[in-house]
Amino acid sequence: MLMMSRREGETILIGDEIEIVIAHIGRSRVKVGIRAPRQMLVIAREVKLVREENLAAAWAGAEIGLDSLRKFCPTPQVFPDRSEEVINRQEAGPNLERIPS
Amino acid sequence: MPVAQTTKFGRISYDSGEAIDFPRGLPGFEDRRGFVALQFEDTAPLVFLQSLEVPDLCFVTMPVLAVDPSYKLQVSCEDLEEVGLSTLSQPRIGKDLLCLAVLSLRESGPTANLLAPVVVNLENLKAVQAVAPESGYSHQHPLVWEEAPVCS
Repeated sequence: MLMMSRREGETILIGDEIEIVIAHIGRSRVKVGIRAPRQMLVIAREVKLVREENLAAAWAGAEIGLDSLRKFCPTPQVFPDRSEEVINRQEAGPNLERIPS
Repeated sequence: MPVAQTTKFGRISYDSGEAIDFPRGLPGFEDRRGFVALQFEDTAPLVFLQSLEVPDLCFVTMPVLAVDPSYKLQVSCEDLEEVGLSTLSQPRIGKDLLCLAVLSLRESGPTANLLAPVVVNLENLKAVQAVAPESGYSHQHPLVWEEAPVCS
């Protein structure tokens, strides 16, 4: 891996189209500005993980039927705190017109 | 009452005041803004985050506290602002917001994404998937169930 030391406000170029600016150096964080072609996806590494996880979750969620999901809920969970109350408030509205058996 | 077509639940009607808005979508689904959260008695504590735009897009989720009762929520200032929550203090799960972990139902066993919980502001139903790299939580936290007591 190429390592470079840069000061605040200095820039790194990657090829002709990508520019990285060290915008601000804080105590434990660095703010980095990135100029890249619009079609190039620029995301933090952990967002990439979440992105892949979401895509996998959505696929699996679409495949699995409600019956199979019940096996994931073997026992009524005890909700700590007030989350159950909150969810019930939240869920009270949408009425299902048809639920697959 | 608006109606949405869904693959899992058929046609559902919902109150427009209950639609959850993700102004930036979710990573991987940046264009998908409108969802409803559905919960049923026989699949509790699962919460289904059903897209109002794409019939077959439905995330299976669970309140983070049902996954890990000691879960410590960390939301960045950007994400708090995104959903209109105060950046002066960390919000409290249940009181200010609904906090859901997206589940991946793998053959090897279900996992929950605790690295990036879905955070819904209960005041305005604005939501964001809050990626918290400094929290130390995994995006594939194994779900371990306690054995169900046998009823006789």
